[in-house]
Amino acid sequence: MRIVIVGGGIAAVYLANTLLEQAPDLELLIVSEEQHPPYDRIHLCKLVEDCNCVDSITLELNSNVRLELNQKITAIDSESKRIFSQHCAFHYDKLIIATGSLPKTLFNISDIQNAATFRSQRDCEVIAQGMIGKNVIIVGAGPIALELLDTLMRSDAPKSITLLVRKNYLYSEVISREALELIRCIFEADRRVRIRFNDQIVDKEVEGNTITKVLTTQGVIDNPFIIFGVGIDPNIPFARESLECDKGILVDETMQTSNPDIYCVGEAAQLREGGFIAGRVKECSIQADVAIANVLGKEANFTEEVSIDALKVGSFLFADVSSPDFNPKDSENETILISHENRIDQYIVNGDRLKRFIGINTNIDLLALKKLIENDSPIDAAYLYSNRLMSEKGRLICSCEGVHEQELVEIIQENSVTSFAELKAYSKAGRTCGRCKQDICSIITATPVDPIEAARLKCAREAAAKEAKLATVRARIEKYNRLHAKNQLSTENFEEAITSFDLNHEFNHWVSMITASMHLHPDFEEVVKEGVTQLNKIPIIWLELSDCSGNSEAFIKSAHPSVDDLILKYISLDYHELLMAASGDQSEMALDSIIANDAGKYLLIVEGAVPLGLDGKFLRIGAKGETGLELLRRVSANALAVIAVGSCAYDGGVVAAAPNPTGAVGVAEALGRSDIVNLPGCPTNPINIVGTLLHYIMFDEFPKLDSHNRPEWAYGFRVHDNCERRGHYDADEFVLEWGDDGAKKGWCLFQMGCKGPHADLNCSLVKFNEGTSWPVQAGHGCFGCGQGKIAFDEYANQRPLQEKPNE
Amino acid sequence: MSNNRKIVIDPITRIEGHLRIEVEIDEENIIREAWASGQLFRGIETILKGRDPRDVGLIAQRICGVCTNVHYRASISAVEDAYGITIPKNAEIIRNLVTLSLFVQDHIVHYYHLHSLDFVDITSALNADCVKASAEAKEWCDHPYRNSPEHLQSVQEKLGSFVKAGRLGLFANGYWGHSAYKLTPEQNLVHMNHYLEALTLQRDLSKAVAIFSGKTPHPQNLVVGGVTSVADMLNPQRLNDFLFIIKEVREFIERAYIPDMMMIVDGYRESIDAGEGRASGNFMGCGGYRFGEGHALFESGVVRGHDFENIEPFDESKITEEASRSWYENDAPLSPYEGETTPFYTDLNDDGTLKSEGKYTWVKAPRYDGAVMEVGPLARMCIGVAKKSPIILPYMERFMTKTGMELIDFSTTVGRNAARAVEAQICCDYLFDMMSDLIENIKYYDETTWTKYVFEELPQEARGRGLFEVPRGVLGHFVRIEDAKVANYQAVVPTTWNASPKDTKNSRGAYEESLIGLKLSDPSAPLEVLRVIHSFDPCLACAVHVMDVRGMELSQYKIGGGCPSGL
Repeated sequence: MRIVIVGGGIAAVYLANTLLEQAPDLELLIVSEEQHPPYDRIHLCKLVEDCNCVDSITLELNSNVRLELNQKITAIDSESKRIFSQHCAFHYDKLIIATGSLPKTLFNISDIQNAATFRSQRDCEVIAQGMIGKNVIIVGAGPIALELLDTLMRSDAPKSITLLVRKNYLYSEVISREALELIRCIFEADRRVRIRFNDQIVDKEVEGNTITKVLTTQGVIDNPFIIFGVGIDPNIPFARESLECDKGILVDETMQTSNPDIYCVGEAAQLREGGFIAGRVKECSIQADVAIANVLGKEANFTEEVSIDALKVGSFLFADVSSPDFNPKDSENETILISHENRIDQYIVNGDRLKRFIGINTNIDLLALKKLIENDSPIDAAYLYSNRLMSEKGRLICSCEGVHEQELVEIIQENSVTSFAELKAYSKAGRTCGRCKQDICSIITATPVDPIEAARLKCAREAAAKEAKLATVRARIEKYNRLHAKNQLSTENFEEAITSFDLNHEFNHWVSMITASMHLHPDFEEVVKEGVTQLNKIPIIWLELSDCSGNSEAFIKSAHPSVDDLILKYISLDYHELLMAASGDQSEMALDSIIANDAGKYLLIVEGAVPLGLDGKFLRIGAKGETGLELLRRVSANALAVIAVGSCAYDGGVVAAAPNPTGAVGVAEALGRSDIVNLPGCPTNPINIVGTLLHYIMFDEFPKLDSHNRPEWAYGFRVHDNCERRGHYDADEFVLEWGDDGAKKGWCLFQMGCKGPHADLNCSLVKFNEGTSWPVQAGHGCFGCGQGKIAFDEYANQRPLQEKPNE
Repeated sequence: MSNNRKIVIDPITRIEGHLRIEVEIDEENIIREAWASGQLFRGIETILKGRDPRDVGLIAQRICGVCTNVHYRASISAVEDAYGITIPKNAEIIRNLVTLSLFVQDHIVHYYHLHSLDFVDITSALNADCVKASAEAKEWCDHPYRNSPEHLQSVQEKLGSFVKAGRLGLFANGYWGHSAYKLTPEQNLVHMNHYLEALTLQRDLSKAVAIFSGKTPHPQNLVVGGVTSVADMLNPQRLNDFLFIIKEVREFIERAYIPDMMMIVDGYRESIDAGEGRASGNFMGCGGYRFGEGHALFESGVVRGHDFENIEPFDESKITEEASRSWYENDAPLSPYEGETTPFYTDLNDDGTLKSEGKYTWVKAPRYDGAVMEVGPLARMCIGVAKKSPIILPYMERFMTKTGMELIDFSTTVGRNAARAVEAQICCDYLFDMMSDLIENIKYYDETTWTKYVFEELPQEARGRGLFEVPRGVLGHFVRIEDAKVANYQAVVPTTWNASPKDTKNSRGAYEESLIGLKLSDPSAPLEVLRVIHSFDPCLACAVHVMDVRGMELSQYKIGGGCPSGL
């Protein structure tokens, strides 16, 4: 199954990583409109201080996820299950939208150079450069505005900073006057900072693309730099046409949108009952978990939980615990305020139930409060007063995972952890929303560990990881030896054979290929080599159905290992119409004898489509006039495994092209089976056939397959991504006419109709005919031969793709 | 008739596609009647209809994966012919380099890997004395290809190791030890040596083809108006690579293929003298591959009944196709442009045999001026000799002098192979001339590879054809364009000529005719039949998929369950 995730933030990465953890065979694609790989927006403030450190907040993404950057999605075609960007179309089986939100502004700032929003790496650059020597105005009162203010204060660049607050509170309307005053004092301790309540922009003077003067209700600000933190809108314009939307994309409690194959999570989603979860990462990951469960066919519903939130500010600690059913307008709400110096604990209770807690510089055990609300237990004021002290576990560091400072210190000391990465093995702290990552890093730095012990543990960990990997390799090789107990070739014979055939070079090439196809590090070649010397013969039947013999032709051009040695020594190609010596009765007997004597042991390779029209009689084979379908059914029934070679055997290929005169289909469809291994291509590169066979011969299992049952090692690449002309594509250098100057220089063939961006194949890596050339090198371009429907029907050849290809 | 027995051979292996042969033999095991039947229909021509004429190439080339380039080229040429587009000289040469390399590759693979096992007994080769075998090879050539006794020893060991292992793989169940095998163990070993060498060589030849065409099978370098591989053409290293490969191939042809063929002619002299595999003696060639002002590589012409003295000029308008014995409606002979055929499947007999009296194949019956024709290397070499072609004649004379063969002797099973070998040699030598033409041209700053046209300004209605000599014979692709789309498409391919069924006059196709009178030494192991049929180099994918199926309505047939296509 191919799952496409739209979005480039924490939610997208969390979705992708978690999906792959739970179902490693999925094909996952993240499509992001940004130019950077997904990064942690929670730490955006850091980027204002240093724009070039985007790498340091880049999120860890499973290496099997494909990432498409600079692709702004413009539309969804839910009927053909595709999404479109300006340049590309992406097919999906399930789509998950996690595009988050876009910041609002009070007026259009696209042409203004001294105004910005605060959402992306680019915004940070604009702010960092724009605020130098300016009177910075931050418009807004919410968490984003406060965090930004806190960040800018740390810089010498702004001349002054004014926080323009339209109403008379910060953060939330329920915050106490005392808390408000405290926060204000803390911020305004910096003499450049002014927080103006009940104030807003009423007018501005603009010269060219610069705002020279801002008029607010309370006064005038010259030489300004304006940053909006006034709120957000779900980032969903591309979905409005195809999905039911209100302010956000409407989802039910399973996070499913109005289309059953499309899910939406995070700030882009609007629950039909319940609304938005803006800004709360933990909730967002719970929504993601719900969507994942449903995508994978399990049941799960999203219900809002008690949230613990914090402000990422350096000047003070701020915590907020809130019940999902907290209603600020409820007249029964009562506030209990306990304050001491620069500490304020504000409890909002309703009857004898706690509904919300907002604390500044508090040391309350937040998890205990959370549990109190969750269990719906009554509280008594005495408890609140007595619980003044921090729990013995210390300050709550990671609210997502519920990890306290003291617990962390213990983990660090016990395991001599010296870096955040090392911590991963022992605690999930800091890895959900990432907000506390910096805190944890400082705790790690501040906690002394024995350096010798740390180094020893580090070595031990690495050795254990390597040993674990080696153990899996050994297990596979042992399994292989168990399976092929009756080897006819002993190790000695094999070595003798490769010497006498002068095959050492080919043999080494072969070992490398197998090692790579198993996704193992080259260090493992020695281990694989041991296994390969135990090779055996597996009977193979190669059937040709409605075909042109192109794949057989290609196969006999295989070079590594060369086909003669392959046939004579390593595999036993017992039935192949094109190549076998026997004919007529004799060949039929050979076939029958394999089916009878090697039942369950032979591999079946099928080339060609299966015509179903005319009761299958468009193809008849053998003296009894068996139809192609009957023969295929008979031979496949006892086969150990069936491999469909070529595009015709995959999806009918050219034989099934419109109007499909013989009713041709691929092997899997003809047999109604989902376990057919597909090696499409027209013809299939022999490297891909041989590699797959060898893997099977060695380990009695196929290499890892994708959702179309194609081996990932050969089909997990887009032709376009590895194309030798890709540089020219990126540089906008295109061939515009056959044989023009660009053609002579080897420029990109996209404008001439190259379908490389749509073709999942390794042609650009392995080429054809022993690496001599391939269609792009020959100046023609790819036409997507591995996907029959694309190559022969959907796309007109030689002409560039439309933005939305015709169906 | 009632005493006659029927033998069915299906599948015929070592050919491309799905062919069935049925023969009737009398008490003395002599073949009295024969039926050749194509057992697969794909309908590529139906698929081509309604498409943009610029797209036909990539689809039509998939008619066949063996002679893939020639269909690609013929279909694109048909469209160019329709629009009156002349392609640049460089493009013509590059197309020729690829086509003629494929001739050579096709002939070598056909002989060694698809056909030689009908003449060569691999099990006998194991008993050969390697020193004697090495000497034997020198009887036929001064410097035989890879011929040291030590090398032959290693070949023998290689063959022996898998025979002894009990798994013969592809070589299992051949008719080994059959009395129809005539070579000595040493001769068999020499052949098997070259069988293995040729496996490597055909791979190298494919590299040469891929240099200009991206890949093979199914190359991707042609477009309407020219070729795309201009960067390869301008790269001297690529030109060199090509030449080096062809050089090695020339060595192989001169020092292995031709001498091996002389050995076969000698060993199977009896079969030649008996005229085994001789068909009606009607030959047809359309000629082609003219270079500069010189002679064309192949001459055109028509020979009837082995009368080489009176050659008729070839007139393509005399070609018709009929379907009286084929699974299509409308029995009347029609020109390929006018062809109108609807599939009409009458099935097999209940025991799975062909209906001898009615329709029995997916292959149609093409005729020239009403007559059955044989096409291919044999036809080309005969016509070349008869017309005293300065290119073909010297090669043929050399071969005839050395073997003592007459021209008529080529019209046999063994002779077809000899003609093919000589043709491979001519094509290979010619590649060098063509390459120097290309280099000359580039040297004078002609780097053009495509003729510019504006598709929207081309005529909305047009018709044209691409007519070529290709490895197995005369290939014609015919296209009719209406409203800038393909309105009708047909291909009349070499195997359609040779594997043709009978017609209304009951005259047999070439395969069928060549089997009549053949004596089988063991009817349960009809090796002789295979030998005859293989000598034509059958390519059934082409023969069958290309039927014109205009107006076909599958709904009138009972369609098996699960047919998902919007027919």
